[in-house]
Amino acid sequence: MRSLLVAGLMLATTLTSAMAQEGKLVLYTSQPQTDAQQTADAFMAKYPGITVEWVRDGTPQIMAKFRSELEAGAPQADVLLIADVVTMEGLKAEGLLLNYPEADLTGYPEGLHDEDGAYFSTKLITTGIVYNTAATMIPTSWEDLTKPEAKDQVAMPSPLSSGAAMIHTVTLTDNLPEGWDYYSALASNGAQASGGNGAILTAVSGGEKLYGMIVDYMPIREAAKGAPVKFVFPTEGVSAVTEPVAILQSAQNPDNAKLFVDFILSEDGQKLAASQGYIPAREGVALPEGYPDRSEIHLLSYDAAAALANDQDNKDRFSDIFGQ
Amino acid sequence: MARTETAGRFPVRVARFTPAILAILAVLLLAALPLGRLMATALIRENGLDFSPLIARLMRGATQRAIVNTLDTALMGALLALAIGTPFALLMALTDMPLRRLQGFLLLLPLMLAPQVTALAFMQLLGPSSALLGMFGLAPAPGTPNPLLGRGGIILLYGIQHAPIVFITLRAGLTALPRDYVEAARAAGARPWRVLLTVILPLLRPYFIAALALAFVSGVGNFGIPALLGIPANYFTLATLIYQQLASSGPSVLSQVAMLSLIIAVIALAGIAIQALGERRTSFAIARGLPARFSLGFWRWPASLAGLATIGLMLILPMVALVTTSLVPAYGVRLSLDTLTLDNYAEVLLRQASTIRAFINSFYLSGLAALILAFCAVPVALGLRHFPQRPRQALHGLLDLPYALPGIVLAIACILLFLRPLPLIGSLYNTPWIILIAYLMRFVALAVRPVDAALGQIPPQLTEAAAAAGAGGLRRLLTIILPLSAPAAAAGAILVFMSAFNELTVSALLWSSRNETLGVILFSLDEAGLSAQASAIAAITIAVVVLLLLVLDRLAKRLPAGVLPWR
Repeated sequence: MRSLLVAGLMLATTLTSAMAQEGKLVLYTSQPQTDAQQTADAFMAKYPGITVEWVRDGTPQIMAKFRSELEAGAPQADVLLIADVVTMEGLKAEGLLLNYPEADLTGYPEGLHDEDGAYFSTKLITTGIVYNTAATMIPTSWEDLTKPEAKDQVAMPSPLSSGAAMIHTVTLTDNLPEGWDYYSALASNGAQASGGNGAILTAVSGGEKLYGMIVDYMPIREAAKGAPVKFVFPTEGVSAVTEPVAILQSAQNPDNAKLFVDFILSEDGQKLAASQGYIPAREGVALPEGYPDRSEIHLLSYDAAAALANDQDNKDRFSDIFGQ
Repeated sequence: MARTETAGRFPVRVARFTPAILAILAVLLLAALPLGRLMATALIRENGLDFSPLIARLMRGATQRAIVNTLDTALMGALLALAIGTPFALLMALTDMPLRRLQGFLLLLPLMLAPQVTALAFMQLLGPSSALLGMFGLAPAPGTPNPLLGRGGIILLYGIQHAPIVFITLRAGLTALPRDYVEAARAAGARPWRVLLTVILPLLRPYFIAALALAFVSGVGNFGIPALLGIPANYFTLATLIYQQLASSGPSVLSQVAMLSLIIAVIALAGIAIQALGERRTSFAIARGLPARFSLGFWRWPASLAGLATIGLMLILPMVALVTTSLVPAYGVRLSLDTLTLDNYAEVLLRQASTIRAFINSFYLSGLAALILAFCAVPVALGLRHFPQRPRQALHGLLDLPYALPGIVLAIACILLFLRPLPLIGSLYNTPWIILIAYLMRFVALAVRPVDAALGQIPPQLTEAAAAAGAGGLRRLLTIILPLSAPAAAAGAILVFMSAFNELTVSALLWSSRNETLGVILFSLDEAGLSAQASAIAAITIAVVVLLLLVLDRLAKRLPAGVLPWR
């Protein structure tokens, strides 16, 4: 079904490709393998003259690769498509991103993108609660994770090893009334903070932990396949990373990079994201199966610039609480 | 028996300088170059050489804890590997235990599994969702933490993962045993135990030390096992601390990572130095090879069954757990007739073009690395023997370092070195060749160590006699040195191939479009939470490798004796 949809999209985009461009485009992304391939394929179908060379890896690795290239004096990538805005803020502050204020942003809510056009949100990956169906207490609120029923049963990605997890932590501490005390309560309830989202999914679906904080698409996808997990959008709301796309100042192919950004933000690009199981950032594009209606998902507020400024403080604070 | 050789004066005058130059070149290119680049990144600031950030780094509690944990797990793991690997090597090489070949064959497999696959398989085996334990009602209740998390589990899996290294190294040593000593002892009426304790084990000492050092260094550089078993329990080794450091991705991240790498390098060098202490004396004999086998008598079958049971526990059970997971639609689903599916295999083999490509890439990159290193190992080890004891050991230590560093660090060094175009060859970045070079750097120690141990036991009288009889240098190399060191070179090549085939951490940063390796694919599936698909790839890998080894086994008659460690 999904491949049919992708094929259909490709066909549609091929027919509408008006200004064919040439050359190549180097994309560094933290999207999963399959999604990265589909994104590259769909873009190449729209612009047959452009060859996309893409590399995918986890955000830490892809950034290490980029940093090493930078240190050696020859960065290779034209476009970055990575998980979180904090990393992008950092790159922007170092002057490594190329502003693209002319990008067409119709259909996007105000304030979703960087105001200078340095990076653009492409989808919403929210973090909520996953639980194993063997669990007796069904969580509905973030506070449920600090209850005695969840003692020693909560796993979450560590903000020390994942930028996206840091965004989640900052969002919750900014929005929940008890602030950082919420995390102290989690720590004294025996919550475990480590690894990435994939590891949390494995731990919860394998039954080693009953509850986890995790990104939406993984448990929704696995639950559809029959895994003993369910995903909950907690009542207080959810945090979100927006998988931003940005053009690098050092891009060798800036024009193709702009075409790529336009494509990702276009309705077709957003439908592709939905077909891959993500919440598209553009309003009016339907959510994939397994999600509630867009109006029911309440996003908690998040200040990227402040988070970047306080990044070290936040890390230290978290380390203190969790003794890491 | 005359002990004419003191280290440093190898009696072969054959092309005395060429091997020495080759050896120096190999050490420079494969070890000193990447390490030097890392040191530069770690210590050079705008105002020149600066040690203060390194000292600040060392003062941190997290760094010190990680150093202690690294030493602890690597050492205990190496001892456990020795405890597992030694009985197997002795039983298989020296006795008439039944099913020897089967056991030797199976014992190699843990090395071919990527460490994170071994860890995943064991966690599946012992966790609450264990299908196998569930069948007997023994599975822990949901919500029970995995018993393998933390120090004990890491040590256990290091022991299992590195037992084949011990086995192969000792096996190579046993095939080059001075047969005349053993046979003299037996002719004099010594009981088998006495021969073992007073003749064989002392003669094997250099091999024991080489095996222990390799297992220790492997543990220091291992990432996959402490990543899966340590990070969830907040138990960090240097390798996982480096990974966590990378996540912070600020402008100073490279120098921080390079500093931690230097600490790892120092630890590995310490391990290697200890090896040097034991390597002082070696002895020589005229007739080499396996002496007549000891008869186990009544104990033949009990020994064989005990061996098979051990292999079953440490290999077959986790593999069954792995295959079980690959047959359910999603991790955590119980395997039954209703849930049984081949969809994961169809997905990775038919729908994802990258899997097949990754198999081919991994196959030829690790195959090429193994071939090149096998051919270079003899001249390089020979060349190193031209140096006096201390410099020689230092050079060996340098060669070992890239293997002890976490792969991701070596990868960063390679990017820093090869990104800019080089004269004549251009930039190697974004080509598969940068991965090949990184493999050569990383695995050269695995190829050179066994050959060096073998060369150390070639009696100088043999080559001296040949020289006296008028045999030229090349002739002596071809007719004496090569045949006597070929089994060790082949054992090294097999180690290299198997280690590179499932390697992840080096290629994770060095791969480019269409040049992905198996490890890269596996890691990306794991990271996306697709454990069932990852298990399918791991299962296919095991099948392919077993098939390959069976083909080798068929070809065994045409290979020199002792080349295949299980025969």
